[in-house]
Amino acid sequence: MAYSELIKSFHRIRAYLRSFYVYGFRHRREFDQKSARSYDNERRRVESWLGEYMSFGQDADGRRFFLSVDSRSIPENPLYRAFRAKSFTDWDITLHFHLLDILRADEALRIAEVMDELDRRLASFERAALPDESTVRKKLKEYHNLGLIRTEKRGRETLYRRSEDHVSLERWDAAAAFFSEAAPLGVIGSYLGDRLARRVPWFRFKHHYILNALDSEVLLTLFTAIRERKRVRFRTARGLFTVVPLKVYIGTQTGRQYLLAWTPRQHFAFYRADLMDSVTLGEAFEAPEDLAQRLETFQAHCWGVTGSGSGPLQRVEMTVHVGPGEGFLVERLEREKRCGQVEQVDETHWRFTAEVWDALELLPWLRTFTGRVSALSCTDERVTQRFWEDFDALAELYGGETDALS
Amino acid sequence: MLFHEIYGSYYRATAAILRQAARGALTGRELTALVQRHGFGESLLTIPDALRGERWLLLHRDLSSALTGEPELPLTTLEKRWMKALLLDPRIQLFDADPTGLEEVEPLFTPDQVVYYDRYTNGDDFQDPGYIARFRTILRALREKSAPYVRFQTGKVKKTQLVVTPHHLEYSEKDDRFRLVAASARRRWIINLGRLEACALSASERYSPLPEADMERVTFELTDRRNALEWVLLHFSHMEKETKRLDEDRYRVTLRYNREDETEMVIRILSFGPVLRVVEPEHMIALLRRRVARQRQLNPGPGGAAREEG
Repeated sequence: MAYSELIKSFHRIRAYLRSFYVYGFRHRREFDQKSARSYDNERRRVESWLGEYMSFGQDADGRRFFLSVDSRSIPENPLYRAFRAKSFTDWDITLHFHLLDILRADEALRIAEVMDELDRRLASFERAALPDESTVRKKLKEYHNLGLIRTEKRGRETLYRRSEDHVSLERWDAAAAFFSEAAPLGVIGSYLGDRLARRVPWFRFKHHYILNALDSEVLLTLFTAIRERKRVRFRTARGLFTVVPLKVYIGTQTGRQYLLAWTPRQHFAFYRADLMDSVTLGEAFEAPEDLAQRLETFQAHCWGVTGSGSGPLQRVEMTVHVGPGEGFLVERLEREKRCGQVEQVDETHWRFTAEVWDALELLPWLRTFTGRVSALSCTDERVTQRFWEDFDALAELYGGETDALS
Repeated sequence: MLFHEIYGSYYRATAAILRQAARGALTGRELTALVQRHGFGESLLTIPDALRGERWLLLHRDLSSALTGEPELPLTTLEKRWMKALLLDPRIQLFDADPTGLEEVEPLFTPDQVVYYDRYTNGDDFQDPGYIARFRTILRALREKSAPYVRFQTGKVKKTQLVVTPHHLEYSEKDDRFRLVAASARRRWIINLGRLEACALSASERYSPLPEADMERVTFELTDRRNALEWVLLHFSHMEKETKRLDEDRYRVTLRYNREDETEMVIRILSFGPVLRVVEPEHMIALLRRRVARQRQLNPGPGGAAREEG
C-alpha cells in the first residue's frame, strides 16, 4: 500500500511517538516493527507532523532519531498533531463538506431531498458519480452521533438538519488555550483552538508532561465508563483485565496517569494508562453499598499509586533538621506531605509522619531531604534499609573517601 | 470519537481552501499556501491533487467552490461536553468563558473523578476575587499588548513596583500556580501571581523585549536498575534532552534546564538515589556533595541501625 501521512488507528503510532520522545537512544533495528519499511514509514510520518522537533544523532551503531521538546517554551502540545492525522476515503471528505452545506439548521430534509441535491451538485464535475443512498445514510448517522446533525421522525421517515450552536466560542479563546494544556483530554481544547480565527499564544506550562496526550483515547473511555457506571476491559503486557473504573490519578511530577479500579477480587488496584491497550466499555456495574466508604478509607492512605487496601498500614516517620532561617524546609514538608502529618519536635526539628499502604513508595520523596534527615523509621524495615543503603552508595559517588568522580 | 477525520489537518486545510474559494479569492498559489499552513510536511503531495484532480468533488477546475457558501462545522458533542467539564473547574473563574449554549450538556468528566495525587497543596487561591481581578487585568494587558503597572512582594517584607511588558502567563501543574513572565527595561521578571498585590493597566506604551532565560545543562549517567531508565526518562521527559546508550545498562542523559530551577533540579536528581551520577557541570556536583556531606554530619558512618530512631 502506498505511503500516506495519515493513519487509520492511533495504536501503533502511540508506541513510536513514545519511543522517539521518551527514549530517543534507539536505532532503527531496535524497534519492534513488523518490517524495516514499517519503521521507515512511521518515522517519516512523525517527521512530517513534527519535523521541527525531530533531531537525529549519529554514533557507531548508526543514526538515531528522537523528539526533543522543552515543553516550557511552547504554548501548545505538538503531539496533538498526531490526532489530526486520521485517514479517510474520498467519499468521506466529499460528503462531509456537501452534507453540512446542504443541511440547514432551520429546515429539515428527507434523505431523497439530500440525494437529489447531491446529484445536482456532483453532476457539475467531469468525473461525476453519486454515492449509494446507504453510504449517505451511514454518514448522516455517524454525524448524528458526533452531534453535527440532528434527526427527527416524521411518520416513518427520518429528517435531517444541521445542529445549531448557541456557544460564543470567541469568549472561550483564552480558556480553550489554557485548559487544552492544563485539563484532561486537552486535545479537545486544541480542536476548539482550530476553530478560532486566532490562537491565544500567552500561556506557557512548566512541569508539563505532553506525553500524556497520547493516552487521550484511553482516558476518554475510562471517563465514559465511570460516568455510565460500567466496567472496562483492557489489555496490558500482564494480560486481559475487566475492572470497575473509579478514578483517574494524574501525576504532576512523574509523567504518568493511572486508573484506580475495583477488581473482581474485591480490592483496589492501579493501572498505568500508557500501558493499557484495546480499552472498551463492558457491562453495567452495581456497586456494593459500602464501596464509596471503602474507597474513601483506601484513598486516605495512598501516598501515590500503589496499594490495594488489603494488609496492614505501614507507618513512616522522618525527622528533619531545620536550621535558623530555613523555614522553607517546613514549607516544603507542609505542601508536599499529601496524606501525612507534620509537627514540630523542638526548635530545630520537625517530624513528618504518614500511615500508608506501601511505604516503599515514599522513598524517592524521602531522598529529596538528603542532608536534612536526622532520623528515619518505618514499620517496614526495607524502607529504612534501602534509604540508608542508597545514601551510602550516593556518598560513594559524591563524597566517599575515594572520589568516584575524579 | 476523539480520533476522527473531522478534526484532522486535511479537513481543516480543505475548509480553508473552500472558504477562500467561496469568497472568489482562491488562486493556485493561495491553495498551496493554505495547505502549507494547515497541513503536514508532505500534505502538498496529496491535497492539491485530490482537489484539482476531482478525487474529492469539492472544487471545480476553475477553482470555484462546489458548495453554496463557506463551509461550516457545528461544535461536536465531545467538544461541548469538554467545555461543560471546564465550567466545573475552579480555575474557570479566571476566564471570561460564557456558559451559554451548554446548559443541557453533560460534562465529559467531573473534578471528583480526577486526583492529582502529587500536586503541592499551597497553590494559588483561584476563588479569591482579588486574584481573579489581577489575573484578568494581566490577560487584558496581554490581549491589548499594553504594559501594566504591578506591585508585588519580592521577599518577606520587600516590595517592588514597576511597569512591565507582559510576555506570558506560566502555569505549573505541580505547583498549581501561575507566574507572570515579564520584562522591564533592564531585566526579566518572573512574578508569582499569588504575591501580586496590585495590578492595573498603565498608559505606558513602552515595549521591553524578554531577555532569554539563563539556561544550563546537566549531564548524568544512569544505571538501569529497578526499572530506573523508564522512571528517570519519563520524569524528565518534559525537558529538552538527549539520551545515549553507553553499554548494556548504562546511559548518558543531558538535560537543559533553567538556571533559576537549579535547587529543584538538585532535589529531583536526589530523588533517584545512586542510579543517577551527575558528571557535569562541576557546580551541580558541588551542590550534591554539600548535601551528602551535611547528611553525613547528621548520621556519620555507614550502616543503618545507628540512624534509626527509637
